[in-house]
Amino acid sequence: MSCLLLRLAAPLQSWGTSSRFTRRNTDRAPSRSGVLGLLAAATGRRRTDPLEELLELRIGVRIEQPGQLERDFQTARSLDGQTSMPLSYRFYLADAVFAVAVYGPDPLLETLTQALRAPAFPLFLGRRSCPPAGVLLHGVHDGDVAQVLADAPWLASKWVQKQHRAPTVTLDTVADCPATEARAELVRDEPISFDPRHRQYAWRSVLKTPVTIPNPMHRSPMPTAAQAGGGHDPMAFFEEPF
Amino acid sequence: MPRTILDVHIIQSVPPSNINRDDTGSPKTAIYGGRRRARVSSQAWKRATRKAFPAHLDTSELGKRTRQVVEVLATEITRQAPALDGRAAELATEVLTAIGIKTKAARKDGALPESEFLLFLSHRQIESLAELAVTAATEAGSGKVSINKQEAKTRADREHSVDIALFGRMVASATDLNVEAAVQVAHALSVHAVDNEYDYFTAVDDNKENNDDEDAGAGMIGTVEFNSSTLYRYAALDVDALCENLGDATATVRAAEAFTRAFITSMPTGKQNTFANRTLPDAVLLVVRQRQPINLVGAFEEVVADDAEHGRVHTAIGKLAEHARDLHAAFDETPVAAWTFGIGEKKIAPLAELATHTTFEPAVRAVGELLGQRLAATS
Repeated sequence: MSCLLLRLAAPLQSWGTSSRFTRRNTDRAPSRSGVLGLLAAATGRRRTDPLEELLELRIGVRIEQPGQLERDFQTARSLDGQTSMPLSYRFYLADAVFAVAVYGPDPLLETLTQALRAPAFPLFLGRRSCPPAGVLLHGVHDGDVAQVLADAPWLASKWVQKQHRAPTVTLDTVADCPATEARAELVRDEPISFDPRHRQYAWRSVLKTPVTIPNPMHRSPMPTAAQAGGGHDPMAFFEEPF
Repeated sequence: MPRTILDVHIIQSVPPSNINRDDTGSPKTAIYGGRRRARVSSQAWKRATRKAFPAHLDTSELGKRTRQVVEVLATEITRQAPALDGRAAELATEVLTAIGIKTKAARKDGALPESEFLLFLSHRQIESLAELAVTAATEAGSGKVSINKQEAKTRADREHSVDIALFGRMVASATDLNVEAAVQVAHALSVHAVDNEYDYFTAVDDNKENNDDEDAGAGMIGTVEFNSSTLYRYAALDVDALCENLGDATATVRAAEAFTRAFITSMPTGKQNTFANRTLPDAVLLVVRQRQPINLVGAFEEVVADDAEHGRVHTAIGKLAEHARDLHAAFDETPVAAWTFGIGEKKIAPLAELATHTTFEPAVRAVGELLGQRLAATS
């Protein structure tokens, strides 16, 4: 058993676990049902197909870059313009990046890797209008979810890493955990069926844990010209590499 | 099975405008790459695309236009329930009668009855009507089959038109009516940072000028919020899924061409009369792929600077081409084919290195031809 590491990034993503009717919320991190849905789509499962071995996968998310909540106000009319539908609010996470560790048996992870390289259905991050941007697959790594999320390099965008001045960064992780775990939180996010005729979700226990990892863009301050033995160089400050 | 996917990438500048606004009247925006961008929602552009379809498509081309409806339906009934083979023709006639379509004996000996007139049925309608017949036959067992007239009519009326095949349909109350969308449209985002601006306006009351003292002041004052932007627009069409929804390769090619034309040339109508902001794209890149659609928005995570050399369209095209090249190299992605067109040889040059440089119509037709070949090869 090992972990498949994914990077979910896009201008907009949306991961709802409690959306109903005209208010479509997003959580601050990808939901288990959303990630399993993405994997199911990649492998060519239809909404009515059983999820089978996908339900055995353990999933953990690390928030690389939290992004911002964006509210989208939407009106809808019939094509002839005669009937107006109810106004709706859709919430998105703009500019967010997540690392997702998918823990399962190696043959299954191999199948998923192949499927994500050539997905049966086009992939999206929570909503069809949110196609992924950049590199999705980040390899298969030894270890369980907690270990891989503690070891994986920081996958935030370069500009975020540059802005973060400290040598390390502390990121939140949200991972599946046994229901007996004392600090577990319950969310209704365990997909049983995506069949639109009877969508079903069960409760899922998650554990939120921070991890601290190095910031790859951190540079120790350069010795000033004076320290290095030269004269005063007013431009030295600007030469700090980015 | 080889897949066929069509990516559409567009760089398009719009002057001061408010194409798509939120509930406070502000143009929609979103943060990306840490900077606020102009945004036009995918829903807004999809609606504009749908509205543009009639100009690009003769909807009668799509589906089966035939008098041999009994045969077509019977074949489908047998496909769904092979056990009903012997009664399929009788059931098909029952369904057609329920819809109100009269059948008469065929001119050719031994052939199944035909309808009096040519009948146009989409693939999905045929499927759904056959399903109704199968259900009714199963329920009736050995008794007399009765088909609900209202239900049959609804099913026949239900138009799985091209726009539903492309954009899908969600009906929460009747989930059998759902159609999975074949197209994926991203929110259009500006390639540069924007701040919304305000236009303060006064409106003069033409009839008030008679009395200077009493009628001083404007008839109305207000503000309109706007921005001007160079947008990156992206859509991906899953050609295989579209073919499944429409059930016919020729119809799929027509629909794909119509979508491409409509998506490229349409524009949402928000505040159109206030700003007259209707433009055409500066550059278009059409890519046919076989593995997966690729969104190139990453090219603009770092904003195009306001003082970009030769302007932001030029810089945006360069960035788009560079990003596409880098992504393709990193993922061993080889597009099946690509076409590009746009304004100015020089401006479009970076994209012309990745794709065949042509013009609008030849590009769309070349795409259609290739899709046709690929669909013929898979069926």
